Amino acid sequence: MLVAENLVKTFPGVRALDNANLTLRPGSVHALLGENGAGKSTLVKLLTGVYRPDGGRITWDGEELHFGGPLDAQRAGIGVVHQERNLIPAFSVAENIVLHHLPGKAGWLDKRRMRTEARRCLDLLEVELDPDTPVSRLSVAQGQLVEIAKALSLDSKVLLLDEPTASLTGDEADRLYTVVRRLRDSGRAVVLVSHKLEEVFAVADTVTVLRDGRSVAEAEPLTGYTQSEIVDLMVGRAYASIELPERRVDENRPPALRLTGVSTAIGHRDISLAVRPGEILGLYGLVGAGRSELAKAVLGLERITAGTVEVHGEPARIKDVGEALRRYRLGYVTEDRKDEGLFLDQTVARNIAVTVWRRLSRAGLVPDRRERVLAETYVERLGIRVSSPQQLAGQLSGGNQQKVSLAKWLAAECDILIVDEPTVGIDVRTKAAFHELIAGLAAEGLALLLISSDLPETVVLADRIAVMSDLRIVGELDNDHDYPRMSQQIIRMIHAETPTAPPTTLSTAEG
Amino acid sequence: MTVQAEKAAPAETTKPRRIPLWANPRIGLVVLLVLLVALFTVLRPAFLDTRLTLTPLQSDISVYLVVGLAQLSVLSLGHMNLAVGRMAATSAFAMGLTHDKLGAGLIVSLAAGLLVGALLGALAGLIISRTGVNSFVVTLAMDFALVGLITILYASATDGVAFPTMPAGMEALRFDTFADYCLGDVCGPRVPLVVPIAIAAALLVGLLFRSARLGREILMTGSNVRAAELSGIPTRTRIVQAHALSGLIAALAGFLLAANNGAFSASIGDSFLLPSFLAPVLGGTLLAGGAVSVLGTALGATLTQVIYKGLNLLQFQLDQLQLYIGLVLIAALSLDRARHVLAERRGAKL
Amino acid sequence: MTLMATTRRKGPPELTLAVLAVVGFVALAIATGGNLLSAGTLEAFFRFLAVPIVIGLSQMVVLAVGQMNLSVGALTGFCAMAAAWLMLEAGLPAPIAVLAALALGLAVGVANGVLVVLTRINGFIVTLATMTIIQGLRYGVNGPDTYQGYSAGLRAFGRASVLGLPAVFLVAIAVAVLVGLYFSRTVPGRKLLASGGSPFAARLSGISNDRSLITAHGLSGLLAGVAAVITVAASGSVNATIGDDLLLPSFAAPIIGGVALTGGMVSVTGTVLAAFLIRLVDVMQAQFGINPRWVDLIIGAVVLGAVLLGTARQKLQERSP
Repeated sequence: MLVAENLVKTFPGVRALDNANLTLRPGSVHALLGENGAGKSTLVKLLTGVYRPDGGRITWDGEELHFGGPLDAQRAGIGVVHQERNLIPAFSVAENIVLHHLPGKAGWLDKRRMRTEARRCLDLLEVELDPDTPVSRLSVAQGQLVEIAKALSLDSKVLLLDEPTASLTGDEADRLYTVVRRLRDSGRAVVLVSHKLEEVFAVADTVTVLRDGRSVAEAEPLTGYTQSEIVDLMVGRAYASIELPERRVDENRPPALRLTGVSTAIGHRDISLAVRPGEILGLYGLVGAGRSELAKAVLGLERITAGTVEVHGEPARIKDVGEALRRYRLGYVTEDRKDEGLFLDQTVARNIAVTVWRRLSRAGLVPDRRERVLAETYVERLGIRVSSPQQLAGQLSGGNQQKVSLAKWLAAECDILIVDEPTVGIDVRTKAAFHELIAGLAAEGLALLLISSDLPETVVLADRIAVMSDLRIVGELDNDHDYPRMSQQIIRMIHAETPTAPPTTLSTAEG
Repeated sequence: MTVQAEKAAPAETTKPRRIPLWANPRIGLVVLLVLLVALFTVLRPAFLDTRLTLTPLQSDISVYLVVGLAQLSVLSLGHMNLAVGRMAATSAFAMGLTHDKLGAGLIVSLAAGLLVGALLGALAGLIISRTGVNSFVVTLAMDFALVGLITILYASATDGVAFPTMPAGMEALRFDTFADYCLGDVCGPRVPLVVPIAIAAALLVGLLFRSARLGREILMTGSNVRAAELSGIPTRTRIVQAHALSGLIAALAGFLLAANNGAFSASIGDSFLLPSFLAPVLGGTLLAGGAVSVLGTALGATLTQVIYKGLNLLQFQLDQLQLYIGLVLIAALSLDRARHVLAERRGAKL
Repeated sequence: MTLMATTRRKGPPELTLAVLAVVGFVALAIATGGNLLSAGTLEAFFRFLAVPIVIGLSQMVVLAVGQMNLSVGALTGFCAMAAAWLMLEAGLPAPIAVLAALALGLAVGVANGVLVVLTRINGFIVTLATMTIIQGLRYGVNGPDTYQGYSAGLRAFGRASVLGLPAVFLVAIAVAVLVGLYFSRTVPGRKLLASGGSPFAARLSGISNDRSLITAHGLSGLLAGVAAVITVAASGSVNATIGDDLLLPSFAAPIIGGVALTGGMVSVTGTVLAAFLIRLVDVMQAQFGINPRWVDLIIGAVVLGAVLLGTARQKLQERSP
C-alpha cells in the first residue's frame, strides 16, 4: 500500500539515504533495522513529512504523495509515535487523543463526544484507561498507548513506532506487542523501528534492513532469516577497510585510565576496564547500553556510587570537566557535536581554543594572535576545510565540525581521550580520514577509549574491545582485526542475554 | 539561525559572505545619528549650543551608556537583568549612607556602592545558577523586593527620599567641565567630568568581552551552556560573575546619575529599564547571548539621548518622549528582524 | 516512570490559599474589633478588590501561553482616559464609552500579539516598548488633568451594591467565572492552553501557536479594558496616573495563585484567592499603619518564593521514577 522508492536524501557532506526502498502492506508488522547512522531516522522523517526527499518518491496505492510538512503526512494516514512523548500534560487522555479535532458545539467543548471518540480508539487497542485521567499521571508506557490511540483517531493506516520499548519494563513491552498485533489484525501497517532483535523476531512479519543509506533487504519475510543473518546484513562487509600502520602496544605499561568495579547513580554496575597509553580500547554496544553515560560519570557529570577510577595509577574523584582537563589531562569528545561539542555561532578559532585560554592568556587577556596561530596549527594538522579560522563553526560540514570538536582536546594536549561516536553522520571518505587520525593519536602515545556503535569501525581501530549491554560489561576481547570472526563473537556476546531480562530504564537514550 | 551553504559534492565550505554595508547595524546608527542631529539643528539651532544642549547631553549619554553596559553584561549570557534600576538605587543608598553617616569621602562612598551593587548582582546570579529559574523571573522578583526595600531604607536613614549631602567632589562632577580646568592659557574642551568615567567603563567592559579569558568564557556560556560545561568552563561561576558585573555597573550608573542630579535619592534608576535594553539592542547586541557590542551600545545610547534632547528642545512633553522612544524600540526590533531574514536569504551570517 | 507534571490538580495550592484567606479574614475581623464586618467597611473591601482580580486575570491569560504583558497597567489607564474623554469631550453616552473602552483594550492587546508574532521577539521586550508608548499616550488625552463629573449613571453603578456586595465586585467575579469557563470548557480556550503547555505537540495537532499568542494578548487587553471601565465607574474620577501601580499586582496574583510562568495551565480560583489575600494585606497595612513599602517587599519575596517552590516541585517530579 505505501511504497517508498529509491529515496535519496543528502545533507551537507553526507548522503543519508542512497536509493532506499520500503514497501508496506496492510495488515502487517514491518521491522526497519539498521545500525546507527544507517539512515533509519532519516527515512522515518521523510515518511512523516519532516523532510522532503531529494530524489525518489513515495506513493500510496500507486499515487504519488507530496508532503509540505508533518501535518500533510498525518492527513495522508501516516501516524507516528516518537521516542519522546508529545502530549499535553495538563490535559486528559481523551483531550489528547482528539486534540487535532476537538469536538465542539458553537465553541463549547463537547466532552461527551470527546469521551466517546477516545473510548472508541482505546477499545480498538483493548486498553483499559479512564479517558478523563490527566496525562501527567500516566506512566511512560501508558502515554505511549495514548499516542497510539491518538494516531488511530487520526485514522492512520500506517503507524510508525520509533524505538517504542526503549523505556518500558518487560511487562509493559509485552502489552505493547499485543497492541501491535491487534493493530495488524485490524488491517493497518505497523512499522517498527528498533534495535532489539528479540523484539523484532517476536512481533514482526517482514523486515527491511538499511545499511549506509541503502536497503540491503527489502520487505523480506522474517521467517527466512536467523538473528545472525540479520546482524550480518546490518553490519555487512561493505566497509572497505583501510590499511592502518601497525601499532605495537606495550603491554607492560600501567594503564593510563582504569575503572574498577564502578557503579553509577544511573544504574551501571561493576564496570571494570583499563586503557594503556598508546592503546585504543573500543567500547562497543547498542543504543541505550549506557556508554556515554559512563563517560560522563568518569568526568564527574554523573554520580559514581561505587568503585574507583584511577588515572595513571592515582585514584581520581573528578568533579567536573575542568578538573578532568587541567589536572588529569583527560578529554571527552562528545557524541552530539552540535548540541554538546561545538559553539555553532562562534568562530572555529574560539571553538578550538576554548579549552586552553588559560594557557594562552597573559594577565587574564587572550592575545588574538596566539589564538589564531593555535587554531591554524590544528586546522592544518587535522585537515579542517575552512576559509579562515574566523569562519563560524555552524557553517562547516559534519566531518569538519567533528574535526573541530576533536581539535579542542588535542589543543589541550590531553593524554587520555574518550571519543564518543566520532563518525556518526559523516561520509565514508572523511570517516576513513578520521580513523587514520585516531590511529595516529594512539601511535603518538595517547590512551583512547573509543565509544562506538559502528562495528566495522571498532574492529578496524581497537586493540581490545569491551562490549557493553544494558549498563554492564558483558565481555572483553583482544582484537585480531578479523572482521567476520570478531563481529560474530561480539554480537553473540550482546545477544547472550535472555530475551525476558527486563531492560533497565535510562532517562536519556544514547543517540 | 546558521546557514549551511554548501552542496553535497565538491566544495565543503564557503567563504563567509561580507555583510552589505547597509545591513551593518553600526553604520546604520551613525547615519541615523547624523541625520537626526542635522534635523534637530535645522529645527532648533540651539541644539548645537554647547552650554545649553551639548554639555548636558553628554552627561546624559554618559549615564545611559553605563546603564546599557549594565544590561549588556548579562545579555552576553542570553539573560536579562530587570532589576538594574533598583540595584542602582540601592547602591546609591549605600553611597549616600557611607558619606552621610560615616563621613566617608568620594572614593570610599563610591566603592561601598559598587560593592553593594556587585553583591546584589551576585545574589541574582547565584539564585539563577543554582535553581535554574529563568533570569527574567529572578530579577523581576528581585526588582519587586527592592522597590519596597529602597523606600524603607531611605525613609529610615533620611528625612524623606534623599540624602541631604554629597561627598566633596560630586559638586564638581555635576557642574564642571574640562573647560573649567586650565593649564596656563589652555583650557580643556566643554566636556563634562563624568564623560571620561563612562568612557573608561565602556573601554573596560569592551576589553573584558573582547580579549579577557573571563569575558570569552561568559560569551561561550551564553552561546551554548551545555557545550561550555563540557569544555571545562565553570559555567555556574561565570553566570554569577556576569550578574555581579551587571550589578556593579548599575551601581556606577546610579553614581553618575546622582552626580548629575545632585543627590542620592530613592528615585534613581526609575527610568533605567527601557534604556538599558534599548541601547544594546539598537547597537546590535543579541538577546540570545554569545555576542555583544560595546560600540553599538554606545551608539545606541547616544542615539536615544539625542532623540530625547531634540524632542525636548522642540518642546515635546515627557509623555510624548516616552511614546517616541517606545516606537523607536519597536521599529529597531522590527528592522533587526527584517535584517536577519534578508541576510539569511542571501546566505550571509550576521 | 511517570510523565513530568507541569500541572497540579485542584489540590494543595488552591486549598492552602483558601484556608489562608479564611483565616486571614477572620483574624482581621477580630483585630479590627468587628469593624471590618460593618456594612461600609466590608463594601469598600470588596469594591477595591474588583480591579486587582480583573488585572490579575489579564496577566494570567498571557501567562497561560508562556508570555507576559507588561502593558496591562498602562493600558488600563489609557482605556479609562479614553472612556472619560468620550463621555466628557465627545458627549457620548456611558454604554458607548464603555464598549469603546473594551474595544480599545482588545485592539491594543491584539496589536501586542501581532507584534510578538511578527518580530519573534520575547513578549517581555515588545510589551515593554508598548507599555512605554501607552504610558505616553495616556498623557496625550488630557495632559496631567483629571476627568470627573461624567455620566452620573455610570458612577452610580460604581457605587451600587447588591445584597451588600458592590456591583463592580460582582462584575469582576462574573468575569472570573467567564474566564474560567473559557479555559476549561471552550474549544478555543483549550487550544490556547495546548499551545502554552506543549507548543510542539499542539502544532502537530494542527493548532496554530501564533493564533493562540495573538488571542491571548487580545484577551489580556480586553480584560485590561474591563478593569478600566470598573475604575471609571468606581473611582468617579480618572487621570493619567491610573495603572502605574497595577503591574506588580497583575503578576503577583496569578503567581501566588499557582499559575506557572512556563505556560500551559491557569488557575482562576488561585488568582482570585491570591488577589483576595493581597487585598487583606493592604487593609492590614492601612489598619495598623504599616509602611506600605513593607507590603511591597513582602509581596516581592512571596512571589519569588512561589516561583522557586513551583520550580522545585517540578524538578522533584521530574526526578521521581
